[in-house]
Amino acid sequence: MKPLERYWFGDVALARPYLLLRFVLALLAFDTWLNMMPQGAKYGVGAFNVAHFPWFDTFIPSSAFYLGVLAFTGVLALSQALYRPHRIAIVLVAAGYTLGWSCSLLDSVPYHYLLTLYLVCFVFFPMLSARAAFSRSDRAPRGSIAPYVLFCVTTAIVYFYVAAWAAAEGQSYWLPMACCAAYLIASMQDRAELPALRMAAPVLMAAPVAFHLFAPQQGWLPIYMIGIAFVVFMPTPWIHSVGRTLTQPARSLVEGRSEEDGTDERAAQVFYMSLVGLVVAPMVSMFVDMPGVKTGCTLTAIAMLFVMGRQLYFTPRWRPVWRVASLFGGCLALWITVTTSTARFDYYREGALDADRRGDHDAAMMFREKADRYAP
Amino acid sequence: MASSETEPPPAHPSPKARRRTSALIAAFVALQFLIPLTYLTREDTADERFTWRSLSAPTAPSCETSASLERFDGQHEAISPEKLIHQDWVGYVSQGRRAVVDAFLRKQCEADGVLQVELVNRCDDERGTREYNLRCGGERAHETVRTATR
Repeated sequence: MKPLERYWFGDVALARPYLLLRFVLALLAFDTWLNMMPQGAKYGVGAFNVAHFPWFDTFIPSSAFYLGVLAFTGVLALSQALYRPHRIAIVLVAAGYTLGWSCSLLDSVPYHYLLTLYLVCFVFFPMLSARAAFSRSDRAPRGSIAPYVLFCVTTAIVYFYVAAWAAAEGQSYWLPMACCAAYLIASMQDRAELPALRMAAPVLMAAPVAFHLFAPQQGWLPIYMIGIAFVVFMPTPWIHSVGRTLTQPARSLVEGRSEEDGTDERAAQVFYMSLVGLVVAPMVSMFVDMPGVKTGCTLTAIAMLFVMGRQLYFTPRWRPVWRVASLFGGCLALWITVTTSTARFDYYREGALDADRRGDHDAAMMFREKADRYAP
Repeated sequence: MASSETEPPPAHPSPKARRRTSALIAAFVALQFLIPLTYLTREDTADERFTWRSLSAPTAPSCETSASLERFDGQHEAISPEKLIHQDWVGYVSQGRRAVVDAFLRKQCEADGVLQVELVNRCDDERGTREYNLRCGGERAHETVRTATR
């Protein structure tokens, strides 16, 4: 292999892509529900909108559309974080999330674009099970995972530009430049032929952690980036043992079940259980009481049905049941998050304030009633 | 019970797969390098999207905004953006974000009998006073924007 090919296709500890994918998907779900949903009342006001891309300009997203897309994206993302991800589902999460921010300039948060880039990388990640990534206790399994290296390079490019623009304006740029170099180096730390990097990489974590603790940033970007830094920079044995601990319940549950091959009489039982679960799970969203959320959750169930495909009937294993359980988990988490936080109240309060400002008293009254009902 | 060996790590890609993947990676990385550079060619310098110039929301100070439209019968009418669109859009308009200003003016042209629409942003900083004038004409979709700094 040529040196450049060795960089992209060298070994990576499987624990890293496994944890990275799940960490970002889980955080993204709560980020959409807690930080993006409360902004939903802005959408569709006065039938006015400007999209990020010109081909979207004729489309005016309503509040219900925006919330529906976010509910769909969040529930699907969390369900994929909870149980072995499926590539089609990751494509749908990436499409839904990108649609969510790109349909309007009202969402101009810089890191939402970064998350889309990450989700594109995730589409090409290996969809590893906990057993594949952690079961061999003697040493951490490794494999060639170019999309993981691409993820690190994507992050490095962001820091490179942060440093470059800072330098162009005569500001200090050494810290983001150190972050850029750190990510380029850390992506190679699991390679057997580069033992020195294993010593250096964990030390380099200080750069991104310091940058995100002290530089001004919007929203949950520091949480994402510090979490990502831990997964990328942590020494291999540490990340392997953290992953093993976190996945212990899931692995023992799956390994405890019989995994015999071939179809048996239990297939029908699993099929009906899964089908009932797919119908019942979106019903949880009825208690959320925000426009578009029911449709979003129903679409998630349909997407899950599409993702499972033939597996739903033809596999004798419990995999369809786990998938439906993960969908249930996603819908329940949405309901609990929205009802125990101020997200729903903030949505209605912002709607009432804006309607008042515009002199739309009917809408203001409707929003205010709901805001009063859900006031913390 | 299935052992862990039934799910081996991803195999090393074949030379053909490596070439294909390398092409995809090169395209994705090139795109990521090129997109931020488009900032250098942007007419609207307040538009910092996809550039990584800042990781927080841009905080360009807003200006005092007034808007008016002229009807075919010569009648002038003041319009209040605050009553028509969400406050966040008003913020974009008053900061002079061209895409939003243009869209706002086009939107006002959609009303019956409007000949032209004018928007003025008076800023206390180096941006000065900026006027945006869109002549709707009979076809409404026709757009002319004139920016003047005094």
